[in-house]
Amino acid sequence: MRSGGLSVRKWSPAASLKLLLCCFWLFSIILPLLRMLSTIATVDVASVITARKFSRAFSHSIAASTVSTMISVVLAGILSWCVARTNIRHKTILNTLITVPMLIPSISHGMGLIIILGANGWLARLLGLTGGIYGFWGIVIGSVMYSFPVAYLMLYDVLLYEDATPYEAADVMGLKAADRFFAITFPYLRKPLISVVFAAFTMIITDYGVPLMVGGKYTTLPVMMYQDVIGMLDFGKGSVIGMILLIPALIACILDMANRDKGNAAFIGKPYTPKDNRLRDTCAILIIGFLIVLIFLPIGSFAVLGFINKYPIDMTLSLSNITQAVHMGALKYLCNSLVIASVVSVFGTALAVFNAYMTARNKTKMSYVLHLMSITSLAIPGIVLGLSYVMFFKKSPIYGTFAILFLVNSMHFFASPYLMAYNTFGKINENLEDVGSTLGIPHFLIIRDVLLPQAAGTILEMVSYFFVNCMMTISAVSFLSNVNTKPVALMITQFEGQMQLECAAFVSLLILVVNIIMKYAIFLIKKKLS
Amino acid sequence: MDKIIVENLSKAFGSSGVLHDLSFSIREGEFLSILGPSGCGKTTILRILIGLESPDSGAIYKDGKEITRLPPYQRNMGIVFQNYALFENMSVLQNVEYALLKSSSTKAEYNPSTARSKAKLMLDIVGLTDHLSKKPRELSGGQQQRVAIARTLALNPDVILFDEPMSALDVDTRLSLRSELKELQKHFGTTMVYITHDQEEAFALSDRIMVMDAGVIHQLDTPHNLIHHPADDYVKCFVIKNIDIKINSLIQYAQRREEFL
Repeated sequence: MRSGGLSVRKWSPAASLKLLLCCFWLFSIILPLLRMLSTIATVDVASVITARKFSRAFSHSIAASTVSTMISVVLAGILSWCVARTNIRHKTILNTLITVPMLIPSISHGMGLIIILGANGWLARLLGLTGGIYGFWGIVIGSVMYSFPVAYLMLYDVLLYEDATPYEAADVMGLKAADRFFAITFPYLRKPLISVVFAAFTMIITDYGVPLMVGGKYTTLPVMMYQDVIGMLDFGKGSVIGMILLIPALIACILDMANRDKGNAAFIGKPYTPKDNRLRDTCAILIIGFLIVLIFLPIGSFAVLGFINKYPIDMTLSLSNITQAVHMGALKYLCNSLVIASVVSVFGTALAVFNAYMTARNKTKMSYVLHLMSITSLAIPGIVLGLSYVMFFKKSPIYGTFAILFLVNSMHFFASPYLMAYNTFGKINENLEDVGSTLGIPHFLIIRDVLLPQAAGTILEMVSYFFVNCMMTISAVSFLSNVNTKPVALMITQFEGQMQLECAAFVSLLILVVNIIMKYAIFLIKKKLS
Repeated sequence: MDKIIVENLSKAFGSSGVLHDLSFSIREGEFLSILGPSGCGKTTILRILIGLESPDSGAIYKDGKEITRLPPYQRNMGIVFQNYALFENMSVLQNVEYALLKSSSTKAEYNPSTARSKAKLMLDIVGLTDHLSKKPRELSGGQQQRVAIARTLALNPDVILFDEPMSALDVDTRLSLRSELKELQKHFGTTMVYITHDQEEAFALSDRIMVMDAGVIHQLDTPHNLIHHPADDYVKCFVIKNIDIKINSLIQYAQRREEFL
């Protein structure tokens, strides 16, 4: 018998590592999910679904999510076109500004909206509006603010990498602008657009932060699930809703995979360079400026509100909210969040890198299974994962400790960073390991000295993704944390319940600042590396 | 003297390809080309020779010793890949230095300063002295391939395998790299096995050529014998006809060019 070597054998160390990873996925995603779904067998599903309260929440969810998705994608389309297809300057800065909303929890968007357009909102008062924004339109506006940067980033990428040669051909043929749009741009955008629409829809329909804050009596499915589980400990009913929320995410995931495998790998013929057009650029700047103001209105509002004594009764500047938030444990919970975010960004990134290495650079049939398992989390909304974990891990020693929060966040946010690593590893020269083994350089040295340094930029982005998302998530963790392990973002839900908007604003601001610092640090490190 | 002897080698590869019971030998110091269309199994032979894959059955001997199950680094062979497989995060000099310092076969001989001078020497031989501190992506394709060759040569293997090393390069670069490769072989006396699907290249470089198709060897012989005594119709067609076509079109091109001028 020979040992080791890179030769293809029926059994190899790599195969057993893959088996180990598959087992890990089985226990951290597949079994918990099945545990939740198995509960449904014990529930009278028909009576849950036919209940008036449920059907109302269901139609609310569908209506609000559909409208929000449409507005969000259209706005994102306009804005991404304005940035990608014009000759305006400072595009990097614009992109950074536009994506700032991705650094705060969805519930903070809802809160920003209340500060502006709520019953006592400053703009509502200014315009003499009464009654506030609560309900359908509140959810729609909040959801658009929260989902729109994500749709923007996806569309911007698509527009940026579109091949310019068909446009040159169109110029030669003398096609009119409208014909060009329907003959070239639209067919090219169709597939990515479907992905964007489903991604945004999934994001919106599974979110409970915005509807919890501004929904009022307009209850949506995630809010109902949250109330059933947290308020009434009705896991059965929660599971039924959880299963329904899995459906759009599942469709999005399947569509995304179908699209990803075919078209997107196409190489770029020639990047698109916009022609000179003063008028177009000026219009673009106006639109971008207007939208950026809208984006920063809620953020700016809660930045101010965090330092106001008691809005709108006592408008004096004060630090009382901070003292109160600190008094209620803000610093302790901030530390919890920092611990969770740091551990998850290290552990999650390491796991994703290891996993991606096994699927992208050591391809066997088992890699494919592993790959599918690794991207399952893409199709599982946070609250569904959280509920699954409660039911599966309830009797295990990690329940109620930080460990379960590390695990659930690593799993919840796993798919995107994993895919980043998978794509990067796939692009690095396929013969590196082979050349290493023929030169007599040990495998781990090639990984450490050659492969990982080449992927350094991607790895930093992965760390940042895990960190930022752990700082702001309120979905999975809301079912799994307790007084000792609570992350700071959940204080916003708590303050909301107690109608202490000022403190909630301060906490949102805290999260935003931490995330900006993190992003900036990653930016500096990347700059130093290159 | 036979450097490498391959006996009854069989291997299933890809989705449908099979190497059928191949036996051949490679002589000490010769330049042997394996010529065949893509998918005929030539790359698989190369990967088995160096130990990146194991055969389903059969045996390989080098210098009289069986090496069939030996890991790649114990075979004292080197390989140059079509896509160079350079360490992109390291400079040209570091690429060679790193190999010398980390390779299990050379790390005992070298310290950082001797590795550096050896690396410089090798890069000088392939004509890259002016590019030592550049990163691979700043080099042309031909220059990158020279780095890969220098890195392989530095470890002093007695057999070097080339997996279609020039198919990504333009014609001029191919021509100059070709003659340099012959020079290097003369200089070091290394046995070289060269994979290509280009008849002209095989004929220009080789002492002997192995003509393959669909996992079997049609003929292994000198270029002269391939032309004058082809073993079968396949060899006649694939080798000779193709060359004829190329020569004819070149002649026609030259004539037309003269007429035009």
